[in-house]
Amino acid sequence: MPRGGVSALAAARRWVVAQRFEIALVCPLAGYVLLLTALPILDTLRISLTAPASGDFPSLVNYGALAGSDLFGQALRNTVIVVAMSLALELVVGLGLALTLHGRFPFRGLVRTIVLVPMGVPTIVSGAVMLLVFSRAGYLNSLGYHVADLVNHLPGVEWRFAPFSWTVAGGWRTLFTVAVADMWKVLPIVTLIFLAGLQAVPEELYDAARVDGATRWQRFTRITLPLLLPYVTMAVILRAIDAFRIFELALVLSGRVEPVLGTFIWNRYAPPTSDVFGAAAASVVLFGLIMVCIVLYLRRVAMPGEVRL
Amino acid sequence: MMRVPGDRLERPLRIVFPIWVAGSVGLVLFPVYLLLMVSVAPGGALFGERPALFVSEPTLQFWRRVIGQGDLWAPLMKSLFVASTTTVLAVVIAVPAAYVVSRLRSRWRYGIVIALLVTRMFPEFAIGVSVATRFAALGLVDTSMGLVLAHLIGALPFIAWILVGTFEGVPRDIEEAASIDGASRLRILTRIVVPIALPGIAVAALFVWLYSWNEFLYARLLTTSANTLPLQVFQAIDRGSRQQMATVAAVLIVPILVVVYFLQRHLRPGALAGAVKG
Repeated sequence: MPRGGVSALAAARRWVVAQRFEIALVCPLAGYVLLLTALPILDTLRISLTAPASGDFPSLVNYGALAGSDLFGQALRNTVIVVAMSLALELVVGLGLALTLHGRFPFRGLVRTIVLVPMGVPTIVSGAVMLLVFSRAGYLNSLGYHVADLVNHLPGVEWRFAPFSWTVAGGWRTLFTVAVADMWKVLPIVTLIFLAGLQAVPEELYDAARVDGATRWQRFTRITLPLLLPYVTMAVILRAIDAFRIFELALVLSGRVEPVLGTFIWNRYAPPTSDVFGAAAASVVLFGLIMVCIVLYLRRVAMPGEVRL
Repeated sequence: MMRVPGDRLERPLRIVFPIWVAGSVGLVLFPVYLLLMVSVAPGGALFGERPALFVSEPTLQFWRRVIGQGDLWAPLMKSLFVASTTTVLAVVIAVPAAYVVSRLRSRWRYGIVIALLVTRMFPEFAIGVSVATRFAALGLVDTSMGLVLAHLIGALPFIAWILVGTFEGVPRDIEEAASIDGASRLRILTRIVVPIALPGIAVAALFVWLYSWNEFLYARLLTTSANTLPLQVFQAIDRGSRQQMATVAAVLIVPILVVVYFLQRHLRPGALAGAVKG
């Protein structure tokens, strides 16, 4: 045994010496990820398992407090609702936009560039804009007044438009504004994924379908959609991972009435609550939710042998 | 295009299509337009039931006020400094590592690339709650350096992930030829591989710069008074007038429009989908 151990040690040493160039180059990055990503996650886990008052470890007190908290339940529910609404909106609008951009038309390059703009706009700014659109004296209500004007021109119709403030109404309305803001922000990414999918469909399939007399609608439902399915899966999982982490938009648009997980954690962490333990426990729950999505992603999308994304 | 008898959609589509394209582009750009418009709108134009959609008499008074007040310069400088420092450090740390990974056997390389991708998906709060408490103890709150360290957490896996792909595209034959000519491995990396990969490195660096420039969550966790620009926007949302909020936000997006303009050529479908956090 000792000899085996010694020779293994010697082999390890030889390997280190032979690979010293590679090891030296990788060390800074590996060290950083270890020190400032892996370690903090473990530390957050440790904090979440520490009892605030007594300092007992491990203890499930913080998780018990979360489970008993109505606010946390509400935040969890709201997060799921926002993710679902946001995904539904993104898929429909993103697919529509991708189909549009896939066609041939003048200035296509320019149009594709313009469509990328929201990607560069900071999330906090897109929140600010949505505030202009959805507030009580905002542009959506203004549109409502204009529509009411038009409708009232019809004989025998009288409709008084009642404005509302979407952002402070609470309930699904407020969550809807968050989902719309999120949709706008990530539209370029979803569109790019779908465009890649559309471009991967072999042109011959469409030609063959045309020869067989398939209409445009049939070509879309029988060829395009089925072949696009893997890209839909990829978009859904990638976007779900991001949407669960939603924070700035919710902070700006719904922070005071409808918390999501991100804003819940922030409100625990920040003064006046300053409850690091509760914040850590909620962060771990969020981490768990996202890990489920990541595992799904690895199983469904990133299959070994083919590096996609 | 071959005509199909049952395809009656064809002709109306040709007429409706341009309008449809213009409409989609309009909707995508509307928020940006709204922001810039509001930032130059005179005070009265936005009040009442129907805020104006067009400004007939644009005014720069809010721009003057925001710039003149002086609470713009410190955040602007901090944001510029943090974004630029983060970018430089991210490149310096990630380039050597990504090069090594790109030369590994495919199984290892694939595993590491996936690990980098997964690291990027971790929720910031799970890392940030611990980092913020530790940084507070170390006196790193409100410092630019603390924020640079935090932004590197998000930036490094991301840039390393892009760069592995970039270096994979640099042919190995060149390296072998240089090695036969007696060049050391470090020399090969700095004099041959990096110059060839430079366009890719530049694009990756721009993405990192954008990430740091826009970043809000770590900034919020690690700041009590020395705001960055995104935090300044949040403050304006909380306390300012609509125009003031729009103006600060516009200051934040103008450099971005420039960067996106330079980046757009490199945004091929599929190549970078998922590369940018939503």
